[in-house]
Amino acid sequence: MSRDLDIKVHHLTRVEGHGNIVVNMKDGVLEKAHLSIVEPPRFFEAMMKGRSFHEAAIITSRICGICSLGHQLTSLVATEDALGLEISEQTVLLRKLLVHGATLQSNILHAYFLAAPDFLNVGSVFPLIATHKDVVLRALRMKRLANDIADIVSGRAVHPITPVPGGFSRIPEKAELLEIKRRLLEEALPDGLETIETMKSLAGAIPQFERETEYISLKHPDEYALYEGDIFSSDSGATSVHNYLDVTNEFIVNHSTSKHAKYNRDSYFVGALARWNNNHAQLGEEALAAAEAMGLKPNCYNPYMNTIAQVVEAVHCILDSVRIIDRLMEIGLKNEKPNQNPTRYGRGIGSNEVPRGILFHDYTYDNKGNIIKANCIIPTGQNLANIDADMMKLVPEIINKTKEEITLNLEMLVRAYDPCISCSVHMLEVDFIE
Amino acid sequence: MAALTVIGVGSRLRGDDAIGPLLIDALSGLSHSQLELVDAGSDALGILEYFHGREHVIVVDACHMGHPAGYIVEFDPSQIDLVLKDDPISLHGLGLAESIQMAQSLHMLPTDLKIIGIEPESIQFSGSLSVPVQKALKKAIEIVEDKLNRVSQLAEA
Repeated sequence: MSRDLDIKVHHLTRVEGHGNIVVNMKDGVLEKAHLSIVEPPRFFEAMMKGRSFHEAAIITSRICGICSLGHQLTSLVATEDALGLEISEQTVLLRKLLVHGATLQSNILHAYFLAAPDFLNVGSVFPLIATHKDVVLRALRMKRLANDIADIVSGRAVHPITPVPGGFSRIPEKAELLEIKRRLLEEALPDGLETIETMKSLAGAIPQFERETEYISLKHPDEYALYEGDIFSSDSGATSVHNYLDVTNEFIVNHSTSKHAKYNRDSYFVGALARWNNNHAQLGEEALAAAEAMGLKPNCYNPYMNTIAQVVEAVHCILDSVRIIDRLMEIGLKNEKPNQNPTRYGRGIGSNEVPRGILFHDYTYDNKGNIIKANCIIPTGQNLANIDADMMKLVPEIINKTKEEITLNLEMLVRAYDPCISCSVHMLEVDFIE
Repeated sequence: MAALTVIGVGSRLRGDDAIGPLLIDALSGLSHSQLELVDAGSDALGILEYFHGREHVIVVDACHMGHPAGYIVEFDPSQIDLVLKDDPISLHGLGLAESIQMAQSLHMLPTDLKIIGIEPESIQFSGSLSVPVQKALKKAIEIVEDKLNRVSQLAEA
């Protein structure tokens, strides 16, 4: 069909030029289909220069209110790598518990507040409050537990304070952790199982679209990698996080203020679906059963299924958090002090899986422990080329739909990736009633 | 529980958007037993946690109201039409307006919720407040202190 199509969706008109979907088709030939979005830490290097190793994680945690814990932990790992700071098993376990809390919170909110309204075709979460109040309350209940995990382990739900280079400045009480375990089993697990039922009932509304691409995530020999591991590509296998620049290969495109990334192909996918495709065999039987119930199969090439992979991970995070607390009880909580005695000064790389995908921080320290060079590559930047490539394949496949339907399909695609737009949008716009 | 909860919303790294967290810093010097202070950062949805079980709550945030920079308005949610983003592309699109709307629909709003809105000059990445908003910070502290006095007298009565 020969057709002209011109779609411009300005999601964030207040932040000029950011977060726009642009599609342009002339005489049936697709000329453009892309997303332009701001990449947050463009000022990252300038902001970090001259800062001491005590400050780095505090500053980076404030890049983004929603991704604060991810930036903080990745920053700590990079600093510890640069300064040769060894950390204890207890520190690793407490950090993994924090990662699970943050992943649970982000994945659940994304599934309920962004994806579910699309699947129900109601536009936003607000109509759901009237029609599915119990579901909205369930989402908020799970968010509260995730918040409380962060509060207890890191001292504060937003912009955590106790995780420091070399360990924790304060260790949670045994009773606090046991109470979290009780709530994980008695509240979060039933809520998680209900979530699977809810998503199962919505699965029919997930668009059927496939584009096989390269999937990149961390990979660990012994566990479903979130906190640590090597970089793993579905195309070329594993490489050390120290080689991350060979993987990300950032490049500039005309249509976006943010850099794109590519490795073995023209684009790659990071996030829950990439983790699922690369590491599903390391999930427990409950998470695998959840995936099966919701129709998520190994090697899934439908980007819209990223949301379902997030729900599978939520189940994993709930149960693995219980396992972590059990292990902490087994080794006995020690009131240990953080190890802050550098054994070297130089360059260090940190990498974690944050909810939206693999995150890299890269610092070089001088011999006084101050940063002389810093780099940060966020998941959304890495996904941008892949989103554009999805759009280029998707638009011709759905070209017989109405312009409104095509626009909705494209918005849903972007939402499936849950891009980070750098917290720039929280600000209240006010119209007073005259 | 403290008689008054003050929640600062905003990013410390984004110029005048830091007004919420910086007000919390300034108030922490008061160490008043009836005052609960929350730096919510830019996770606006997180403020719902602090509506629960509270009666008097003030939220401080940079607001686009069409006034000159530094202009302060104190209002409650019923006085405004919340400008909701119906099609957020990300969780980052769920801001203060969406959080208040959600609390309203779920009957979770505190009985006395006030918003102190401060018109920003710039919310570009930068480490400092603009001069007009620095002046507004002092005025906002006075508004909170005044409210704190009234609310703690009520609590003691």
